[in-house]
Amino acid sequence: MSDERVAVGIDELWPEDTGEDEGVVVDWFEREGASVEAGDLLCVFQVVKVNVDVESPVAGVLDEIVKEEDDVITREDTLAWIEPA
Amino acid sequence: MAEAEAEMGGEPGGRERTMSRAIVEAIATEMREDEEVFVMGEDVADYEGIFDTTTGLVEEFGYDRIMDVPISETSFIGAGVGAAQQGMRPIVELMFADFFGVAMDQIYNQMAKNTYMSGGSVSVPMVLLTAVGATYNDAAQHSQTLYGTFAHLPGMKIVSPSTAYDAKGLMHNAIRDDDPVVFMFHKRLMGLGWMPAPDGPKTPVPEEPYTIPFGSADVKREGDDVTVVTLGLHVHRAVDAAETLTEEGIETEVLDLRSLVPLDTDAILESVRKTGRLVVVDEDYRSFGLSGEIVARAAEEMLDDLEAVQRVALPDVPIPYSRPLEDEVIPSTEDIAEAVRATR
Repeated sequence: MSDERVAVGIDELWPEDTGEDEGVVVDWFEREGASVEAGDLLCVFQVVKVNVDVESPVAGVLDEIVKEEDDVITREDTLAWIEPA
Repeated sequence: MAEAEAEMGGEPGGRERTMSRAIVEAIATEMREDEEVFVMGEDVADYEGIFDTTTGLVEEFGYDRIMDVPISETSFIGAGVGAAQQGMRPIVELMFADFFGVAMDQIYNQMAKNTYMSGGSVSVPMVLLTAVGATYNDAAQHSQTLYGTFAHLPGMKIVSPSTAYDAKGLMHNAIRDDDPVVFMFHKRLMGLGWMPAPDGPKTPVPEEPYTIPFGSADVKREGDDVTVVTLGLHVHRAVDAAETLTEEGIETEVLDLRSLVPLDTDAILESVRKTGRLVVVDEDYRSFGLSGEIVARAAEEMLDDLEAVQRVALPDVPIPYSRPLEDEVIPSTEDIAEAVRATR
């Protein structure tokens, strides 16, 4: 059920000291369909020159990547959805 | 859940890593297993390496084992040599290979020769980690590869990966080696946010440690018609050129050297024995370097098998800052394809 999926959000990770409201997804380290543990590195995004690691919030399957590499993002965006184990 | 996973195809390819992450993973693993392993260099701690070679390490290991140093290559590379001789396993970052000049005595007379000069009473298990390569308009003093300069000097092993998988395995091997290893990573391949890598260097990388032996070239692509020998960034350009050439009916074998010292001469000879045609692609200067060395080894061992030879290398000029001028001198995919055609 899609409403059970867990969003991979970045609002709390957004670097506060940049004053910038746009960033870019730099790299994905897992592909759709991959099994992940809570805390596994999923991807990294960049705001100005600051790199931020995004870890999986729960164990499960990386069901959908919403924001691909090179996509421009804001802090409200959901980068991906995890289907919990 | 198992059903859901099966539906999605389970683990397609597994976890991937950029080259920088793969290098960091190897360093962190070795540091956890051996407290004698430490990192020192300019901006390796708080800044986490200007090319992301130490991301997250100071947080885990602290400032005693991830040490920022003043801008004095002679002093901190010399300190690394001393620490290594006392039994530690330093990883010392020379921010750009271009800066070797200010510390060359420490590198080639001390690090490389102290085992010999001491009659084997000390060894120098040190990794000199350094950034090489052009393609991002950083001008003549920040863009060189200098493969030939380092590989020319005896006493140190020289490696340069083209993929994340190789980078991790080579780094594990470099740290465990009891002799000095110069680990030259190409900036363009690291997967930096501000310097996007081409497709290719980001690969699946197993979580567990593994080693890749030095002196073992990798056949990236098999072909019967022409052999291309290269390393680093130009492995990817050579593979791209080979794809184009397939459409013209030319099957190109691409050999990634992965290490220059020791050099996998056998792999080069084996391939050239099959194809008879050798193209060496080097991002370093053309004269007195890698391309001449590879061609000479082939000529010494199998002159009768050689039908044609081409070199694609940087002309003997300072690398220009200007983008169109830099693009002109750095070997391109089309330059490689043209050289392969010229052997036919």
